[in-house]
Amino acid sequence: MSADTRYRGYDVLDKRDTPSWDAVTRAVIDERLTAADHLPQVATGAAWRVLRALCTCIVPQPADRPAVPLAALLDRRLAANRGDGFRDARLPPLREAWRIGLDALDAESRHGHGRGFADLDDEARIDLLHRVQHGACADPAWRGMPPALFFSHRVLPDLLSAYYAHPQAWSEIGFGGPANPRGYVRMVANRRDPWEPVEARPGEEARAYRENRRVR
Amino acid sequence: MCADARERPRGAHGRAPDVFRRGGWVPMREYDDRDAVDFAIVGTGAGGATLACRLAELGFRVVAFDAGAWWRPLEEFASDEEHQAKLYWTDDRLCDGADPVRLGSNNSGKAVGGSTVHFAMVSLRFRPEWFKARSQLGYGADWPLDWREMWRYYARVERALRIAGPVRYPWGPHRGRYPYRAHELNEAALVLARGAEALGIRWTPTPLATLSAPRGPAHPCVYRGFCVSGCATNAKQSALVTWIPRALAAGAEIRDLAMVGRVAVDGADRATGVEYLREGRWRFQRARNVVVAGYAVETPRLLLLSATGRHPQGLANSSGLLGRYFTVHANQAVWGTMDDEIRSYKGPPSLAITEHWNYADEGKDFFGGYCYMSQGPLPVVWAVTQGGRGLWGKPLRAEMQKYNHQAGLKIVGETLPQADNRVTLADTKDAYGLPVARVTHAYCDNDRRLIAHSMDFMSRALAAAGARDLWRETDDTCHMAGTARMGDDPHCSVVDADCRSWDIRNLWICDGSVFPTVGGVNPSLTIQALALRTADRIAALAGRGEL
Amino acid sequence: MGTHSGHGRLGAGVTAGVAGLALAAWLSGRRAARGTASTEPVRAARACHRSSALLAGSVLADSAMEHERGAYANPAMYVPPLMAALVLLAGAHGGGDARPQRHRVRHAVYGGAMATGVAGTGFHLYNILKRPGRWSWHNLFHAAPLGAPMALLLAGGLGLAAERVRHGRTRVPRLLGRPAGQALGLLVGAGLLGTTGEAALLHFRGAFQHRAMVLPVSLPPLAAAALLHAAVAPPTRRPLARWLLRLVRLLGWLGMAFHTRGIARRQGGWRNWSQNLFAGPPLPAPPSFSALAVAGLAALRLREKRA
Repeated sequence: MSADTRYRGYDVLDKRDTPSWDAVTRAVIDERLTAADHLPQVATGAAWRVLRALCTCIVPQPADRPAVPLAALLDRRLAANRGDGFRDARLPPLREAWRIGLDALDAESRHGHGRGFADLDDEARIDLLHRVQHGACADPAWRGMPPALFFSHRVLPDLLSAYYAHPQAWSEIGFGGPANPRGYVRMVANRRDPWEPVEARPGEEARAYRENRRVR
Repeated sequence: MCADARERPRGAHGRAPDVFRRGGWVPMREYDDRDAVDFAIVGTGAGGATLACRLAELGFRVVAFDAGAWWRPLEEFASDEEHQAKLYWTDDRLCDGADPVRLGSNNSGKAVGGSTVHFAMVSLRFRPEWFKARSQLGYGADWPLDWREMWRYYARVERALRIAGPVRYPWGPHRGRYPYRAHELNEAALVLARGAEALGIRWTPTPLATLSAPRGPAHPCVYRGFCVSGCATNAKQSALVTWIPRALAAGAEIRDLAMVGRVAVDGADRATGVEYLREGRWRFQRARNVVVAGYAVETPRLLLLSATGRHPQGLANSSGLLGRYFTVHANQAVWGTMDDEIRSYKGPPSLAITEHWNYADEGKDFFGGYCYMSQGPLPVVWAVTQGGRGLWGKPLRAEMQKYNHQAGLKIVGETLPQADNRVTLADTKDAYGLPVARVTHAYCDNDRRLIAHSMDFMSRALAAAGARDLWRETDDTCHMAGTARMGDDPHCSVVDADCRSWDIRNLWICDGSVFPTVGGVNPSLTIQALALRTADRIAALAGRGEL
Repeated sequence: MGTHSGHGRLGAGVTAGVAGLALAAWLSGRRAARGTASTEPVRAARACHRSSALLAGSVLADSAMEHERGAYANPAMYVPPLMAALVLLAGAHGGGDARPQRHRVRHAVYGGAMATGVAGTGFHLYNILKRPGRWSWHNLFHAAPLGAPMALLLAGGLGLAAERVRHGRTRVPRLLGRPAGQALGLLVGAGLLGTTGEAALLHFRGAFQHRAMVLPVSLPPLAAAALLHAAVAPPTRRPLARWLLRLVRLLGWLGMAFHTRGIARRQGGWRNWSQNLFAGPPLPAPPSFSALAVAGLAALRLREKRA
């Protein structure tokens, strides 16, 4: 587990075989963990490289653990065409929005830097994304889709919801995770059930790590 | 585990899923399509299921339809936000206007039980004056109902759902004791309480439709916190585990995975039945009465889709108001970071509430009211909320590290009904080949003043409770209403006080669409109270031969 | 800061509590040691010791679990389980002790338990009053329970009574300036009413969702009334009071059986013990009725012997 978490040593998957997880949850999460082997189906070719680069900017991941396969998680969703049940009328449907958006990101990059988005360094990528977020770009490749809206209504919700639906993300932020049939009994401030993560207060990292290794 | 409930209908062959036993079944009466049943009910949420149950218990022959699947919560509801999107209405809808709303997980269910399967269980009564908002408070419209009558129906719903509430409720006229005691408060709720006490206003444990003690085969709440992703404990008193089993026992038939696409009417302006798609085939169920209970988007959509030569603007729309007055609740929040570990993922999300600004009329520069409640977002919702602030990259990761220390207060705020906020049909078609709904929404100045007032007040309350680094979530809405409003005058309303269409007298509407105003509380209890009243009125009318 | 506990300690705490309760239960059922012809005051004293031990067993299990749940946030939270364990041992010793003299160590333990009970009531009252809502139904339901420390107070009181009764210098033992049977009857009657109050509060919290939940709020007050009447009325045989107290003694164990089933009925059942022992009906609570009934029967015997 990475150094940028207050919950070192905690792995929500350690609870997989405890009363906190039921059969249906195990099946659902097991399936999600196979995303690493997913081959791109919708965002393919150049779009796949753009998407991967985009993911590293939106949710930068620490180098000292295997990365959550965020691009694959999104592509799986696009392949299944899982919508939200509503869309801003200015945006095209889910897949089309992403196809246009990834293509336009690449076009903006070539326009401004002479290189594709995936070939930019971090700083240039982030700079470009800030311009998209604030609608300060106008390449014809956007095909009428408002860039800022694409960023706020597709990029952020879709990627953040995919990343924070992954158990590794739950471990990082100290979320208790699945909880059926065993929910919780200690509800008030600064109390945790033995099956919840320990937050490392300054100076107590080693103890918290030991406790977290025992969380079941 | 059984095959996916979305693959083929479960309510068939004389049986239906037993929601209380893994893999279990209960017997279900079935009706032939050609057999004109007394009532065909479209939708099985808070309105449709409640009405189906009561009508069946009153001896009517009832078939209810739902486009969604029939789940067994104990074995099919995962502890997972993403997977449980299977409970939401995720078919496409278009949103526009100056302040486009968000639908889906927020307010739309697609399952037997409707959105009560994933609602937050908050079960509040309207303030009595809201039923006469126009004449007593000077805004919106009057309901054609008396609050004292509604008070009796509220009590009946509260008993039927074993609402867990405080021993004494601090606001409004006397109400009987809630059937079950309030739940233990989590720390997020205590933050609300401390803030309220610091500012000198009252607060209370929220009356919730989730069990605080066993009830028959249903377990009490285990505080797992996945309430709005569906309750795997069966503690949540959704229509799926309350009204529906009762309806089955009383002889109603429920058809899952049955999408109704049209209500048919004859030349005498009488509804004759519904066209519905099930197992890949369009079929027609004959009925003496049709009830539409699809909530404030699907109800007007279905009636608009059912337009005929005699009713070119859609059924029940001679007033031209069908689909208009689409009214939501403002759902803004103030969030902050506490020194303590709050871990608000434990327990139902809204365990504490204050209705102070629903009942206080002094010190307001706006019409209407709001309550606010404590919050318990799970990681996906929380991350998307951070995205809504425009956070991504390293700032986002840093903010997410504070997850267990965050606390927030969120309003359910009354917005004013406006004719130009409306549901219409779009050009786009859905998977059934039917035009999707277009939902147009904008706040008015009064709404903005209410929102500003609430966020200033909640900021003070949260700061007084010890929160730091406050920030505001400014753009959320919840609940929907108004698109088939009830009233006394056929020119100014779609249905009468009995939720009966002015135009087509054997067509009824039973959901939040009929609300002329929304008040500052969650609507589910009022929808169910109205359904109970409608059932009693139907029985009375039938007794007099006036159906 | 998180708790330092893991399942290990959780399990140990629960096991200790349950073992204590089992030991107390065994003691309470034990007859007087063979071969010693005890006088009635000594017999009554030994019953009181057993009653005190059983009550202490209940307190031990309950406080060990509940204070574990509270993460022993205040070191003072270790004291009640510790005192309850000592009272349990004292009761075990006293229950088998046929000598008509008081025992100094036991006496001190009982005094300590009473002091702990008084202090605990204060702590719990403070806990209630510092929470938002202060003196409210909600805090009575969910904050630190007021009745729990009183049970320890009562256990100590019964123990002290036992010491006094066996130490009678006169033929008719006296307690607090009254005939011992009368004083003990008043003490136990009050204890029964207090315990009924706690059961009423908690069963109200549970909305009396099961019919049997009315038993502990209806039977014990009847028994208490009969016992109190026997204590203040002229001494005579009181078959009704005796039968009511016997029923209450049975009710405690029946209640434990009901609570066992209540835990099984919750989501996850006994497999989910680490949650359901805490969130379900409290397993160690009902036997406190049995404990009080044992002492009540002793008081009745004393009273019938005109003591």
